[in-house]
Amino acid sequence: MSAMKEFTKGFIKENPVFVMALGLCPTLAVTSSVANAIGMGLAATFVLVASNILISMLKSFIPDKVRIPAFIVVIASFVTIVDMMMHAYTPELHKSLGIFIPLIVVNCIILGRAEAFASKNSVFLSLLDGLGMGLGFTLALIVLGAVRELLGAGQLLGHQVLPQTYKPMLVAILAPGAFFTMGLLKGLLNLVTNKKK
Amino acid sequence: MKEYIRFSLVLFVIAGLASGILAYVNSISSPIIADNQKKAEILARKSVLPEASDFTEKNLDNFKYFVGIDKNKKSVGYTFIAYGPGYSSTVQTMVGVKPDLSIENIQIIYQSETPGLGANCVKPDFQKQFSGMKIPSLAVDKDGGKVVSLTGATISSRAITKSIKAGLLELQKAVKSGKSGGSK
Repeated sequence: MSAMKEFTKGFIKENPVFVMALGLCPTLAVTSSVANAIGMGLAATFVLVASNILISMLKSFIPDKVRIPAFIVVIASFVTIVDMMMHAYTPELHKSLGIFIPLIVVNCIILGRAEAFASKNSVFLSLLDGLGMGLGFTLALIVLGAVRELLGAGQLLGHQVLPQTYKPMLVAILAPGAFFTMGLLKGLLNLVTNKKK
Repeated sequence: MKEYIRFSLVLFVIAGLASGILAYVNSISSPIIADNQKKAEILARKSVLPEASDFTEKNLDNFKYFVGIDKNKKSVGYTFIAYGPGYSSTVQTMVGVKPDLSIENIQIIYQSETPGLGANCVKPDFQKQFSGMKIPSLAVDKDGGKVVSLTGATISSRAITKSIKAGLLELQKAVKSGKSGGSK
């Protein structure tokens, strides 16, 4: 029961983007299209799950006083692996995500989960926590990306969805559009969760 | 004091292991990456100069260009990459040139200009208009040339046009010196 809870809490209740407001830099920057959002979300999820598992395994080996540098080394190694693998096998995606892959290192969701969860819990729970949080992050990115791509280009995943006569709202795919969409979606989520109470 | 030695050792072990693993992954992925880039470049060269079946690399005063050869070993034109500093990135354009130094085709191979404005330079409509142009007509309409700029993205259009023109001038020089060199 509690294992299930650790997995699902990242989706809505403790969604890293909309509720905890962590990792907003990549969130705002890469969500100009759904394809980018999926790529970024999955890459971050992989790093999150891998680092959560390893840090949970190493938690008794790593002394408390040097835990942050140790965590960062672990996280940075996984990010570099993802970066090199994506560059080799999915060059197109790697090109469009550009600088944001190496920046997963400083995505505070990952260090946040390592510090708040993986260093205190069992390997299995940490895996579920990482997977849930990662998928919650991916979900948030996809929603943001979908709204912005739809309004800003009239497309979804590169396919024309709105009729050709629709004049794209350019601001949605530029930087300010990220903040507008983010704010509105966060407000909407708050409205819904508050009503439930 | 002893504590600090332990801390350093733990970090040393972790960092050492991490570097080892990364070195291994790098040894697998780096040849693939280099190979991909090479393939992408060859593909781009072929698409701007479809008649050529093979390319030979040439160099003149740091200007790198390729001579396209068809199956009968006859030269059918040239390709080069033009680098134009645009609005938010250096736009790289693969340019295919006919033997008479008119443009065969161009293809933007790298850009990160403003989405919806400068980024529209990758659209076929913008790239197609370059075909057949020669050095004198290479300027955007605002500067009295024949290139129709992208709406709201004169800087990107100008950067691309200028870089192609500069490349063509270099190529002209290179071809001329190559010919006189060859006849000796």
